[in-house]
Amino acid sequence: MQTTLDADTTPAPPHIAKHPLHWRNRDYGHHWRNRDEEFDASKFGMWLFLTTEVLLFAGIFCGYAVFRMLYPEAWSNGSHYLDWKFGAANTVVLLISSFTCAMAVRCAQLNQQKWLKINLVITLVCAALFVFIKLKFEYMVKLGDGKAPGTFFSYEYAQNAHEQLWWSLYYVGTGIHALHVVIGASLLGYVLFRSWKYQAYGPTEYTMVENSALYWHLVDLVWIFLFPLLYLIH
Amino acid sequence: MGTHSENIAQLGWDPEDPHGITHHDDHPHGHPVVAWQIQLGVLLALLFFTFLTVLFYNAESWVENAFDVHLPWWVNVIGAMSIATVKAVLVCMFFMQLRYDKAINTFAMLFCLVCVGLFLGFSMIDLENRDRVVEWKKAEATLGGTGKSLDAPAIDPEFDARISPRINTQGMSIVDFRREEALAAMEAEGKTEADFWAKHYHHHAEHRHPADTNNYYEQLGYDHHVELSTANRTVHRSGLTPGLFSAVDPRELHDDHAADGHGDDAHDDGH
Repeated sequence: MQTTLDADTTPAPPHIAKHPLHWRNRDYGHHWRNRDEEFDASKFGMWLFLTTEVLLFAGIFCGYAVFRMLYPEAWSNGSHYLDWKFGAANTVVLLISSFTCAMAVRCAQLNQQKWLKINLVITLVCAALFVFIKLKFEYMVKLGDGKAPGTFFSYEYAQNAHEQLWWSLYYVGTGIHALHVVIGASLLGYVLFRSWKYQAYGPTEYTMVENSALYWHLVDLVWIFLFPLLYLIH
Repeated sequence: MGTHSENIAQLGWDPEDPHGITHHDDHPHGHPVVAWQIQLGVLLALLFFTFLTVLFYNAESWVENAFDVHLPWWVNVIGAMSIATVKAVLVCMFFMQLRYDKAINTFAMLFCLVCVGLFLGFSMIDLENRDRVVEWKKAEATLGGTGKSLDAPAIDPEFDARISPRINTQGMSIVDFRREEALAAMEAEGKTEADFWAKHYHHHAEHRHPADTNNYYEQLGYDHHVELSTANRTVHRSGLTPGLFSAVDPRELHDDHAADGHGDDAHDDGH
């Protein structure tokens, strides 16, 4: 299998070759024996953080399961209010962005600076598209109908007394997920800025790319479960 | 017996310096770079599974409507969730590179998922078994929560005194309250209840609204009745503590002439 040691040896452009943030000029922490150890420890830390994120969303999934069991009619009605086409469109958008994000990591590993930036830009465009679809075609339309959470609920044609509970769970679940989309996009935007300005990431220095990508894949992972739970299970 | 350095090579580590304090391994071994063809294949597989789960959802709804059959609820749930699980495994293994990574990362995630399983599992066991109180525990068992649901009539003056600071629904569920509010607003404009329902059926003509008690559905000429999927309706409700999620006053349960008529089961009729 190809490794990061097979990377392209193209020299850095002269104007940033001496910059301390260029990936060739980055040293690892003095308390590590080598770069690999520092990288592995950092990545393991990221995975531990991701487990806490999974537990956060597990709370929402558990709430979904409990309320669906208690109020099946409200949950069935709630699911029918959502259009699977928007959910499926957002799933495709996130899957593509996950792919380009994985490719961005690969490009950093192989010192393909131009494609690293292109992949990151595509990922960010997908993130913006996701949030746009969510706000424009879902949140704004639903809120306009009065399908709002808790006491803000004012939809006059609701059929079951517990439908406002469905909307509470819908906005909490998708809202926290959308917040993660924004945070993930910010991290990747930071990576894009640093690689555009300093070529900060390369075969021996790409921890930030890798960990931001892991976060982005988690966002994708959560949506993979939110989509069927909210749109398809009825 | 070889030399010291030969022994080290044989052992793979130096017993006199087990943590490698003096022996600096300055040469990293590099990380695996996953081929782009593999990643692209994974993306296509994920898109295929997305298509599959949407197809399954539509096929299931179509079968129920076309043949007027009642598929059990787990067909819908197991179908959607198993496809989601396959997609999640693909993302974890290839995009997140767990397949090529140190095993401890996979272990951390699996341990977390076991915890999630316990979390979900015990919640479900709790809900399922709330009414199974052994004989000698019955005396000290009390209803959980407030012992009433949102749409229940007032049974606890202390609780009902604490209404929401934002809105007073006058004892109604917020759903009924908002409908009454909208109806009153329409009547203030000089319109009738028929106008209220006409506005709804104009967009949602597929079935009669359960609150449409005067049957404006038929009066307004919407008689092409199409059943919505009832996949969810078979979830059994027997396991719940009586009174906890129904509108029945728990104190009446102990009387011989127990209250009925406005329990949660009333929702199952009607549509």
